[in-house]
Amino acid sequence: MIEVQDLTKYYGDLLAVDHINFEVCDEEIFGFLGPNGAGKTTTQRMLTTLLEPTSGRIVINGHDLAHDSYPVKRQMGLVPEESNVYTELTAWGNLMFTARLYRVSRQQRTERARQLLEAFGLWEKRDVKVEDFSKGMRRRLSIAMAIIHKPTLLFLDEPTPGLDAQSAHAIRDLIRQMNAEGTTIFLTTHQIAEASLLCDRVAIINHGRIAAIDTPEQLKQAFQRVQSVEVALEPGGNAHAQALEALPGVTTQVKMGDKWRLYTEDPSALLPEVIDYARANDLRVVSLSTLGPSLEDVFLEITGQQVGAVHHKAQEGGPQKRGGKARRGGRR
Amino acid sequence: MNVEWTVRLRDEIAQAWTVAVKDVKVYYLTPPMLMFGLMLPFFLFFSFSVKREIGVEVGMARLLALTTFFTASSAGPVIIPLERRMGTYDRLLAAPMSLATLLLGKTLVGAFFATGVSMVPLGVGVFALHVAVADFGMLLLGILLASLTFSAFGLIFASIPTRSVGSIMMPSTLVRWPLMFISGIFIPLEEMAPWARVLAHISPLTYAQDLMNHAVLGRGTLNPWLDLALLPLLLVIFLLPAAWLHRRSRVLGY
Repeated sequence: MIEVQDLTKYYGDLLAVDHINFEVCDEEIFGFLGPNGAGKTTTQRMLTTLLEPTSGRIVINGHDLAHDSYPVKRQMGLVPEESNVYTELTAWGNLMFTARLYRVSRQQRTERARQLLEAFGLWEKRDVKVEDFSKGMRRRLSIAMAIIHKPTLLFLDEPTPGLDAQSAHAIRDLIRQMNAEGTTIFLTTHQIAEASLLCDRVAIINHGRIAAIDTPEQLKQAFQRVQSVEVALEPGGNAHAQALEALPGVTTQVKMGDKWRLYTEDPSALLPEVIDYARANDLRVVSLSTLGPSLEDVFLEITGQQVGAVHHKAQEGGPQKRGGKARRGGRR
Repeated sequence: MNVEWTVRLRDEIAQAWTVAVKDVKVYYLTPPMLMFGLMLPFFLFFSFSVKREIGVEVGMARLLALTTFFTASSAGPVIIPLERRMGTYDRLLAAPMSLATLLLGKTLVGAFFATGVSMVPLGVGVFALHVAVADFGMLLLGILLASLTFSAFGLIFASIPTRSVGSIMMPSTLVRWPLMFISGIFIPLEEMAPWARVLAHISPLTYAQDLMNHAVLGRGTLNPWLDLALLPLLLVIFLLPAAWLHRRSRVLGY
């Protein structure tokens, strides 16, 4: 479906996307992950013809985007990060405008608009100007506008941030449903949990380069050394931070609500140490479990970010690392 | 022309119309459009015409040229940066239509607005002040052609890669105001110094003003057929830098 070859984008002297290569298969949900400023949106804008690459090639369904974008545009839907709806028009007016732009026939556009507005819970508000809509309603309308012509390829840029849980859930269900009906989805996001829930494969982009590309499970397998022990102690509190960090084998610790996550390369060796610490300090172990690497761990490992370091800095004025490492793992 | 291209052409015309109708609904009553497109030409006319002894016919011809010029050339510079800022312009750029179609749609928006606004002085002149128009057909054709041409002229500024209306209005004003003064609106061409008359020929407004003079007064300085031929030619010429600047925006990421 999508072939990206040696794609590069410079903004003046700034290299935003650095000779990236990847493929997206038919009927796949492909996640494009990366921290802010990594090159995600720039890449997506080049794939959707909104931005001209400095060099490289994009081929979608056999059409080279540089010379033959018209057939691709007909099959493509785009949901940008900001809900780009016309606030002065009604929900119905927005859908009719988009349908006419994509040359959907009169009968089909009224049927499809009705279906979509009902599916998105906006039918009752169809004659209300969008300026009175909430953020979630605008988001839903923006997605409805992107799919009114039944695209075979849908680009979504950060579809759920800022939405309530119900709206986010409804949008994820819709993505799955569209994919089940044969639509290829290109999902740009920095929400790792969302990518983990939805994507068949993910690419992680960092500093303009593809750092990893695989299925979420394969990526987790490749980072088995990023394991952890999660423990909840009673009484809890921040007093345990230094002691837990000092336990043998702990590379870093992160407080997560009422629990502590202790990263280690050997969880089985760390478990008795945690129990001994609890006994010695007369603490009750409320819960204790070992965890494999999550997609978030993989993401942080690859992008060189460190949630724990931020936590420590706020707590104690500087990162606490054992063995003098600048960040966990260090693999890029 | 094969069937595929006939369908494509029909689609592109329909899409240009869709863009134009949408812009009419969304932007015509916005404050910048009312200020730059509706009020400014009338203010300019009255500022430069009060206490000058000009006939009603001459005044109407001048006002018609001014309204087509300022109203049509204001639409694009107001609408496109607003759309860029709201992200809605991406919706148009990603749609399956050519850049020429998008520019045609945007040209129509300004042209409709200017034609509509021009009907106010025309209606007042004809029905309230009983102006006898020399050639009504030529006048309507002139208003339409001038509106289209000046709307395309405005698109040159509208295509500057920016999301700020102010950043476009400044260069647009810097160019449009001098053109107004060298175009025979306030000083007739025949009263201009020879060097100024040469300069007047580079202004598109000169040909619109001359055409209005022919249509309303029955006399002008240039050949009316030259005016009628040059206005559509300028329309096409103005779309070329607009298209180039749009491509530049695609490189820069606006």
